[in-house]
Amino acid sequence: MTVLTQSQTSAAPQAPAPRRRKPLGTRAYKVFRVVALVAVVLFLIAPLFWMLLASFKTNVDIYDTAKSFIFTPTGENYANVLQRNNYFIFIFNSFWVAFVSTALSLVLGVPAAYAMSRFTMGRSALVVLMARVIPGVSLLVPWYYVFSNLKMVGGFEVLILSHMFVALPLIVYIMMSYFDSLPLELEESAQVDGLTPIGAFRRITLPLSVSGIATAGILSFIFSWNNFMFALVLSGSKTKTLPVAIFDFVSYASIDWGGLMAAATVVTIPIMIIALFTQKYIVSGLTAGATKG
Amino acid sequence: MKRRSIVKYAAVAAALSLGLTACGSGGGDAKAAGTVRVTLANHVWTEGIKAAIPEFEKATGLKVELTQLGEDQLSDQYNVKLNAGSDEIDVMMYRPLQEGKAFAKNGYLADLTSKVSADANWDWKDYQEGPVKASTVDGKVVGVPIITEREVLYYRKDLLQAAGVQVPKTMDELEAAAKKIAAANPDTAGFVARTAKSAAVTQFSSFLYSFGGDFTDADGKSAVGSDAAKKAYSFYGGLIKNYGPKNVSTDMSWPEAMAIFTQGKAAFYTEADSLYKNATDPAKSKVADKVGFAALPAGPAGSKPYNIPSWGLAVNNASGNQDNAWKFIQWATSKDRTLAAQKAGVPGPRASVWADPAGTSTYPKDLAEAIATSAKNGVGHDRPQVITVGKAREIVGEPIVASITGADASSAADSANEAFQKFLDSEKK
Repeated sequence: MTVLTQSQTSAAPQAPAPRRRKPLGTRAYKVFRVVALVAVVLFLIAPLFWMLLASFKTNVDIYDTAKSFIFTPTGENYANVLQRNNYFIFIFNSFWVAFVSTALSLVLGVPAAYAMSRFTMGRSALVVLMARVIPGVSLLVPWYYVFSNLKMVGGFEVLILSHMFVALPLIVYIMMSYFDSLPLELEESAQVDGLTPIGAFRRITLPLSVSGIATAGILSFIFSWNNFMFALVLSGSKTKTLPVAIFDFVSYASIDWGGLMAAATVVTIPIMIIALFTQKYIVSGLTAGATKG
Repeated sequence: MKRRSIVKYAAVAAALSLGLTACGSGGGDAKAAGTVRVTLANHVWTEGIKAAIPEFEKATGLKVELTQLGEDQLSDQYNVKLNAGSDEIDVMMYRPLQEGKAFAKNGYLADLTSKVSADANWDWKDYQEGPVKASTVDGKVVGVPIITEREVLYYRKDLLQAAGVQVPKTMDELEAAAKKIAAANPDTAGFVARTAKSAAVTQFSSFLYSFGGDFTDADGKSAVGSDAAKKAYSFYGGLIKNYGPKNVSTDMSWPEAMAIFTQGKAAFYTEADSLYKNATDPAKSKVADKVGFAALPAGPAGSKPYNIPSWGLAVNNASGNQDNAWKFIQWATSKDRTLAAQKAGVPGPRASVWADPAGTSTYPKDLAEAIATSAKNGVGHDRPQVITVGKAREIVGEPIVASITGADASSAADSANEAFQKFLDSEKK
């Protein structure tokens, strides 16, 4: 902090009024940028870092403030999570539900969004938005009632369907604004060259929308991966997903913090890797949607 | 061209949905006659039962389908599933004092009155009075208690010895000892206990009873504004405020308070006895070999800790499989199973198991003694006995926090009294 204030005071007289327009090059700005970035990153990383550290500690050490950073690491928590609690099954369950619900939502949602965008179907769009606005919790009881009468509770189908209920409107909305931003002329000229409207959609519009589809798909995947509420009620012992399984480390008279943190790390890492590799799509896809009024 | 594209997309969609159905495990087909669907909370008790289930399956020819969840998740699930009239749960582990009354009023719990008295060998009369009372709603037995709890005093033998104080027998002695130890050890608190509004209510209750109060009086009216209650509030809060950890948070439930004690940062700690392994297990506690136990110190009205069933088993009223469900409960709560669970560190509700030397063989000797005393003079509830327990706890817990933060406990108790009376009136409607 002292570095910041010093350089601010020294830089201030050197920056007369007309030069303020391009402060990007001043030293004060550079220092400020570094400090701000470090502060924000520290703030955001700290809980994750704590989680990672705690996952290598014993339960006694976790509470010991003297051993916050210096401790003897143990792999016991991970062995516990992956071997004894068999987390691979839960990882597969989570992955399968997220993957299928996202894929199906994309197959249904992208053409729907295209239709709504090109043929100005305002009311349909509103209905889809309604589904987005209704809190999922309020649907749980009726869903449970319906699905249990259909004898579907505990299977993958019901989890996938329930996740699609949230994923589909999300995808439709992102894709609608994305399609809105694509120039209509491209399709028109494609049709002049002899493509059918669907052909133009498939050969021209879709390839141009890859980053939008990636954004929508990733956001929907992340939602599904993290969803706890639907899985809690609608999953069975064989289809339990990761967020529900994490609670196995919390029991009435004892909490296994080390195991809990190791499990949380196991849940977080796959989604972080996916997000890391696809972030450029997310950013460009989000702005593509956002700039359109 | 146009048609071909459509066909292609349709084929992709069909293939995906096919894959989807093929991979579904078909969770709903468990209604086969010989299956009992059991939902249990994460607990040491559950681990023991889980390991023993093959015995039950072999003896009865029934198949057990077990779902296991954390306590709050379990509660959420019951509220959704039972509300929808689900018959997919046969046996349910539940908290008699937290949700028993609400579940019974909603008709979720089957009436077990005739079943519990039918089998003399299984012996319903063997159950302690407090837990039985808590499992009975409007004269009907709706649950069988499996795990019981009493509030006891955890203390640090080494610190008491160094300060030259005896194990306190009365509340005044407790305060004096806490004061002396806190003064002699600047880094160590004299006393610690739960401080969060709702979580502290159960552990405060024993103080309330020992000072001669209760949450409601004999007519069912709010009594948290009585003189006894005011004294209890200011005593409990005062102990933490004056001799508790520095900058104490008013958000501590048992994991936080227990952590302070097990890190060696407090001399006295009042908590449920069922948590004792957290303090005596070297893998969780730095002071495992220095922990002593004693019955709750006596207040003006004597030593009156709660003695309650924290968990029980019940049968879902909508289940079409109630006889098999009862068979499971009967097996899981038999004398043998109760003894096995108790040896694993889960205090049970059966008097005969407590009387059996084997029943206390794995407990620290002073803890076994403290439990025996507490079971005798214990009170059968540790929170207001109402339908919406969660809300009631928030109301009656307010003065605890006020007292810890140094606000006027007496006026906080008065306003809590008023709010609680309003709450009771609204529940009667």
